[in-house]
Amino acid sequence: MKRLLAVFMLFSLSFSLLFASGSKEASETKTTLLGEEPVTIVFWHCASDESGVLMDKFIDTFNKENPYKITVKGIYQGQYSDATTLMKTIISAENYSELPDVMQMDATGKVDYFSSGRALTASDAFASYGDISSSYIPVALSNWEYQGVVLGLPFALSTTITFYNKDMLEAAGWDKAPETFQDIIELKRDMEKAGIEAASYGIVPNTPLLANWLGQMGSYVVNNKNGSESMATELSCVENGKLEEFLGLWKNLYEEGGVENKSLSTNQFVNGEVAVFTSSSSNVSSVLEKVGDKFTVGTSTFIKVNDEAEYGATVSGSCLVMFDSKDELKKLASWEFIKYLTGKEVQSEFAISTGYIPSSLEALESDEYKAQLEENPQYRIAPMQLLSTPSEMKSVTVGPSADFYYAIMNGTSDMLKNNVDPKKAAEDLASSLQALLDQYKRNNI
Amino acid sequence: MKRKKIDFIMDIIVTTVALILGFIIVFPLIYCFLSSFKTASEFLEPKLFPSSFKYLENFKNALERGNLVRYTLNSFIIAFFGSATRMVLSILAAYAFTFYNFKGKNFFFFMILGTMMIPGDVLLVTNYLTVSKLHLLNTYLGVMVVSFVSASQMFMLRQRFKSIPKDMREASSMDGYGDLWFIWKVLLPLSKPVVTTLFIQGFINLWNAYLWPLITTASSPEMRTVMVGITRLNSWEDENYQLVMAGVCISLIPSFILFFIMRRNMKKGGLDGSLVG
Repeated sequence: MKRLLAVFMLFSLSFSLLFASGSKEASETKTTLLGEEPVTIVFWHCASDESGVLMDKFIDTFNKENPYKITVKGIYQGQYSDATTLMKTIISAENYSELPDVMQMDATGKVDYFSSGRALTASDAFASYGDISSSYIPVALSNWEYQGVVLGLPFALSTTITFYNKDMLEAAGWDKAPETFQDIIELKRDMEKAGIEAASYGIVPNTPLLANWLGQMGSYVVNNKNGSESMATELSCVENGKLEEFLGLWKNLYEEGGVENKSLSTNQFVNGEVAVFTSSSSNVSSVLEKVGDKFTVGTSTFIKVNDEAEYGATVSGSCLVMFDSKDELKKLASWEFIKYLTGKEVQSEFAISTGYIPSSLEALESDEYKAQLEENPQYRIAPMQLLSTPSEMKSVTVGPSADFYYAIMNGTSDMLKNNVDPKKAAEDLASSLQALLDQYKRNNI
Repeated sequence: MKRKKIDFIMDIIVTTVALILGFIIVFPLIYCFLSSFKTASEFLEPKLFPSSFKYLENFKNALERGNLVRYTLNSFIIAFFGSATRMVLSILAAYAFTFYNFKGKNFFFFMILGTMMIPGDVLLVTNYLTVSKLHLLNTYLGVMVVSFVSASQMFMLRQRFKSIPKDMREASSMDGYGDLWFIWKVLLPLSKPVVTTLFIQGFINLWNAYLWPLITTASSPEMRTVMVGITRLNSWEDENYQLVMAGVCISLIPSFILFFIMRRNMKKGGLDGSLVG
């Protein structure tokens, strides 16, 4: 019996040793795999125009300089919504071999990516290849969190800020930017007194803008912290009366002549047709270039609904996510590439050339970026605002993101066009938004 | 004398209205062409003409950034062969529905017409799945194949063929000629204006397609079409419309050439449109 026990124990020991050496080998393979043989990964991006030129340059540099024999095949996939449609189509058709290894994605793709069944999230990568989350601005990283999982690493980071025509404001007797809706009304009156015919402000609220303004009033647009913790299923701004309150303030702003019921964008601002406009901080570079010597451009923090409102605006932009190709070498290569694109050099160059905020803390503290802020004060507002925006202020993540966006625009615009009472407008808007959430829930759960 | 005067006045009114309408239709193209010579700051000024027609940077940048030469070629191949195949299939189907008698003819015809009610977006995933299963992704055929059959073209051609006496087919058959000979030698020459107009219409539809070519060529950027190339010229961060205008001008060249080649037949199609149906 003793002999039998000894033989059994010997076998057990041999087995455990065998498995132990196997797992050690696997972990060693994981680290030494990269660089042993060439690997090509596919990267879908949505960078066009100047950003597209920069993206091509970053990819070329990585392909030439990385020591791991990684070749990145960068493919432009249209706008973010196009790339998301493409991803959804491939996932619906279960044709996973067509998915890329790395993809640039904005908030419209969050839910579909998460539920794709092929997501290799940043949280997975932190667990497998080392946690580098402390290298990024916390609020930027948390923007890509969904149901407690960090989906990807922030690449193009921006926030909504206010641009203003300093010369026009000075002519109206203003030496600073308007901070609240009431300020805009007063600015318009002063502009009229000074004989300035331009509009003071012109925009139609959409999802991010509504999230910002309701966020300032301490409310989310949808439940589960604007859908950041789990799937948004209902509106959060109806029962607390904040949607109606906001629509009331918006209608008052319109009736007092402060805002025009149309989106007056960069071109109207450059042309001197509007004194103030709110837009992504990623536009700073192009606005400055287009305005040139015509007038002095000022930037300030995002407009508040009133004095009592909280300060700040949510994070926007895009992140880089990975798909699980079931090929360890490709996954490692993808992670290396993502680290490169979100690293110090690329992030500071991208921020300096465009106006985006670097997501990497090292890039944010780099001499090049600091010099840029020193030389161009218009760039300073965005990182300052981003770092001081309350972390509880979240951007909206909903399944039917595009329909939601247009429903909000139509609802608020129709209220002004048809002179609808804010209470009724809030009910109508809430019912159309809730219908979109219900429909998405029915189709996806 | 009085009659002549009224005719003269009517001529002037009709010509003036036609000129105004023509100008309204052509104006976007003129604006596009003129804007493509403007600098970024000039584009924002409210004036129609550029300060100089020597500024060609937009064309240069559009060709470089949008890879428009290759993409225009791709678009041309897809639009030309796609619409040609669609035309051949539509002619054959319309011929069968007009000249043949078979059980369930009307049922099948209305079933085909019923497909016109299905929105294209609904078919996106199904079509993608089919093309993927046929291993046609990232090929010209994969982009074209979903537009090979057009219910509306079948309907239009059937209406045209119905206006041609059936006796002509019988006469040709008595002379020993088959269906294909009759289609080629009799039916098509008589229906040239309709066929040309439908061909151009199909060509323009395929030329303007955006989402489907983008989806089916996801892994092969070199297979992309000109519409995808043009979106790369503009961005969320910077609205470079003058660059887009230059891209659009370049992309219109093949369509213009095709239009000029076929314009005489199209004109005839417009004039004898009353015969159709």
